[in-house]
Amino acid sequence: MIWALSSIGRVFFDFLASTGRLTLFLAHALIQGFTPPYYLRQMVRQFWEIGYLSLPVVGLTALFTGMVLALQSYTGFSRFNAEGAIASVVALSMTRELGPVLAGLMISGRIGGAMAAEIGTMRVTEQLDALVTLSTNPQKYLIAPRLLAGVTMLPLLVLIADIIGIFGGYVVSIYRLNFNPAIYIKQTMDFIQLGDVTSGLIKAAFFGFIITSMGCYHGFNSKGGAQGVGRATTYAVVSSSILILITNYFLTALLF
Amino acid sequence: MTPKFTLENLYKSFGDKHVLQGVDLTIYPGESVVIIGGSGTGKSVLLKCLLGLIPADRGSLKMDGKEIIKESAVENEARLKDIGVMFQGSALFDSLKVWENVAFRLINAQHMERKKAKKIALEKLAAVGLTEKVGELFPAEISGGMQRRVALARAIATQPHILFFDEPTSGLDPIFSSVINDLIRKCVNDLGATALTITHDMNSARHVGDRIAMLYGGKIIWCGPAKDIKEADNPYVQQFIQGLSKGPIQLETDVRDVA
Repeated sequence: MIWALSSIGRVFFDFLASTGRLTLFLAHALIQGFTPPYYLRQMVRQFWEIGYLSLPVVGLTALFTGMVLALQSYTGFSRFNAEGAIASVVALSMTRELGPVLAGLMISGRIGGAMAAEIGTMRVTEQLDALVTLSTNPQKYLIAPRLLAGVTMLPLLVLIADIIGIFGGYVVSIYRLNFNPAIYIKQTMDFIQLGDVTSGLIKAAFFGFIITSMGCYHGFNSKGGAQGVGRATTYAVVSSSILILITNYFLTALLF
Repeated sequence: MTPKFTLENLYKSFGDKHVLQGVDLTIYPGESVVIIGGSGTGKSVLLKCLLGLIPADRGSLKMDGKEIIKESAVENEARLKDIGVMFQGSALFDSLKVWENVAFRLINAQHMERKKAKKIALEKLAAVGLTEKVGELFPAEISGGMQRRVALARAIATQPHILFFDEPTSGLDPIFSSVINDLIRKCVNDLGATALTITHDMNSARHVGDRIAMLYGGKIIWCGPAKDIKEADNPYVQQFIQGLSKGPIQLETDVRDVA
């Protein structure tokens, strides 16, 4: 009994300690991010890597999700003659839910893992120590630009994903299910509201913060050579994916 | 003369691993001191304590007579501006070209114009025997020996008055080691810098050091002029410099530098 209680207590205190370390790490990184000097080249590089280079992954995911959504919605709605709702279902699902969540999960795998691996490798090869000895704060130089790029690029990617996803649904509805193009577009435009899009973009900004902060935190604190870097990469992807799904619920409840 | 560095009774432990157990060492301005010792004796930890990368547990650590053991991050950043470091594995930034690595501090800390910084970087690369063409390559595209030279060029790019070298010749063949040793000696002499080198390469130690100190069991057990080490009457030193498997040195296979 005492053994069980002590185990639970240890896990609980470990969790609190980890949360504290993460909070301090992020607070320090944010403070560093808002104080000069600013490393513009690093920021541009991160905007490029997180934003532009993620476009194919996010675009393909959104396209096929929109297409599948149209097919599945048709299967369900045709049973009670509500095929006309497909356009609005595709639009609302993509903008409010699937766009941000799927883009977040894909970026988590692509960017969060890469960040943890890159910064982790820098840690175990003493490049982070070298930065300090070269009078450069690693959090200012490495972490702050990544956090900023994550928070700003994810909403842009999700906006593009929304458009591509809705287009995917349109293509299937018109060419496979023989809908009238003009009516489909009108139904999409009639039902979709600004709030549907902005709620998805707000979620995306939170997800961008989660992905980059998990990638940076686990990479920055990795140790133990190649195995440690591998572990940091796994932690970064798994923790950001889980946090995205949990945060998604609370944000949905808040923005409902 | 005020010593450049004064270490008194310096301690550092990682859990139950007591790495430094009362290190005493004085380094005077303009001299080149080499710390020798086997793998896992705490040489890298000592170097990182001096740089402020790892906080020492207790004792005294002074630079120019000023206590630095409890310095703030801002004070540490200011102190490091006059220190050049060459890391064991070179620690070059993979995503930057060779010349950008050398010019890193000039561009990012001193905010020098890139064109001017590049000119200085290429001069430093030339000083260590590397061409402009090499400057345009990425670190992964050059050999390990060339990477060491780049790391040396980066360490001296801002003409610091203090230079730290962490195992500068480890993993290099004898010829490349000799080239690096000559370059280190030349750079230290040209800059008139105070240098601290840690190594277990005795050839390197004799070549670059004015004085040699041996770290064993968490303490400096011998310190003297580099030319006198062969005649040292310390059995630990004799075993180490002769590379004998039998002697008073205990092989601590379970203790490693934690860095």
